[in-house]
Amino acid sequence: MHITSWCAEMAEALVVRNLEKRFGGLRAVGDLSLTVAEGETLALIGPNGAGKSTSFNLITGYFRPDSGSVTAFGRELVGLAPYDICAHGLARTFQVARPFGKMTVLENVMTGAFLRDKKVRVARERARDAIAFVGLSAKERTAARDLTTIDQRRLEMARALATEPRVLLLDEVMAGLNHTEVDQAVTLVGQLAQRGLTIVIVEHVMRAIMAVARRIVVLDHGQKIAEGTPQEIVANEDVIRAYLGTGAHG
Amino acid sequence: MPLGLRSGFAVDIAVRVLLFAFIGVAWNLMGGYAKQLSLGHAAYFGLGAYTSTLLLIKFGISPWIGLVAGGIVAMLASLPIGWLCFRLRGPYFAIATIATAQVFMLLFLKFRDFAWGAEGTTIPFLGNAPLMMQFSGKAPYYYIALALLVLGLVITYTIERSWMGNYLVAVGEDEDAAEAVGVNAPRIKRDIYLISAFLTALAGTFYVQYIYFIDPNTAFSFNVSVEAALVSIVGGIGTLWGPVLGTVLLEPTSALLQSWLGASHGGVQLTVYALILMAVILWRPTGLLGLLTDAYHKLVRRDG
Repeated sequence: MHITSWCAEMAEALVVRNLEKRFGGLRAVGDLSLTVAEGETLALIGPNGAGKSTSFNLITGYFRPDSGSVTAFGRELVGLAPYDICAHGLARTFQVARPFGKMTVLENVMTGAFLRDKKVRVARERARDAIAFVGLSAKERTAARDLTTIDQRRLEMARALATEPRVLLLDEVMAGLNHTEVDQAVTLVGQLAQRGLTIVIVEHVMRAIMAVARRIVVLDHGQKIAEGTPQEIVANEDVIRAYLGTGAHG
Repeated sequence: MPLGLRSGFAVDIAVRVLLFAFIGVAWNLMGGYAKQLSLGHAAYFGLGAYTSTLLLIKFGISPWIGLVAGGIVAMLASLPIGWLCFRLRGPYFAIATIATAQVFMLLFLKFRDFAWGAEGTTIPFLGNAPLMMQFSGKAPYYYIALALLVLGLVITYTIERSWMGNYLVAVGEDEDAAEAVGVNAPRIKRDIYLISAFLTALAGTFYVQYIYFIDPNTAFSFNVSVEAALVSIVGGIGTLWGPVLGTVLLEPTSALLQSWLGASHGGVQLTVYALILMAVILWRPTGLLGLLTDAYHKLVRRDG
């Protein structure tokens, strides 16, 4: 009994406790608690304005929470700068891809790789691995600003992977992609999970969430309204109400 | 004479081209690569100039030592200035840096007992004294300015090829995205500001020794700040050779216009400057170097 609970404690990659953030009178995130086990893929879903991106910004140090705590592998992250949090093993992507436009794909990803090794030769090698993984090798020397939307998302993922994260936070990487592209992205995320990476994914594309997530947390108005397996979530009354309004079951 | 320059006027222009190219290179490290558009680099130019001049006149210390001392003083000054100004981004940062240079100018204007106030002072002429950075001919000045420029270019080249160059461009492109992949943006900005301030101060010492005169309006002149940014922007911001190219175009133009029209039509060279700057920003934001690179690529494609 003792041993199993101790093991469970060790296996927690990311623990969010009672996280709270207000913007003026608006409570963007209220009393949010969630736990992500090591190696798990957790999806964060909810209607627009539910507080998903705000939660990401709180976890990764872009916003400072009014109260609550975020720990990764046992270390408190609240109060750390984004680059320290990244150095601690949490890498994120942005909802709108933010490549360094005038750099090439390779240079972009090398920026991430320099976090772990300042030698150009080593960083270039590691960057090439990450680029190959997301399938961008053919465009290694293309300027990032000339990439298509999906390629920019791939680039952003490669750049995050090059920092050698233990937890990867993906903010709507599949928005705006077509059917085939979503399938490709789902495969990528699946491969990352198989490598043992812990993944937190914010997503609207339900098909993708069902395919990649083992557990889902649903937010609405900054609050957690449900948590469970994909099957449990699609059958959950509160979730349906949040998405479709009260009239749907009225 | 170097480069077969025969008249003193031609050598003077060459020295100014080299010097301002060097200031542009120093500015470009921070303003070009990291896109922290400072319009206050005159602060470091002036601090370098005053440090070495005070050491020379009050303590008889050679400007060669003053050169390094001025650089160190500028670095120390860049720390609190950076700490304050880097809280601001974009145009707000630029405006704040203008203020810093103006503050130094006022300090040196008002504290007359400390450094001669508004009248300034001439540098005592010692004849041909290489150890005191004084020469009877103009050629040595030419080679010192050339050496400074080479130093600046070597430093830029080394940084450009390393992780630091990559981090600087990343911060210049998107600071938040850079921090997301582990770039400590405040630290890299502070570090490049230190280097940029140090180099700019070297130019200040050299300039004062070259013209044998210093006063607050020369040392902390807003023109120095503007020129540093202008030559980089016109030549090609964030590139190794951009500031050099920009200076080669702008500095002789300005000097010639001033000598031809300066007496009768004051301000003409400023008007021409403004027109060149507007043309570049409107049509060629990548500067002259961008123009040449495009032309080269077109040529290569045609051949292939």
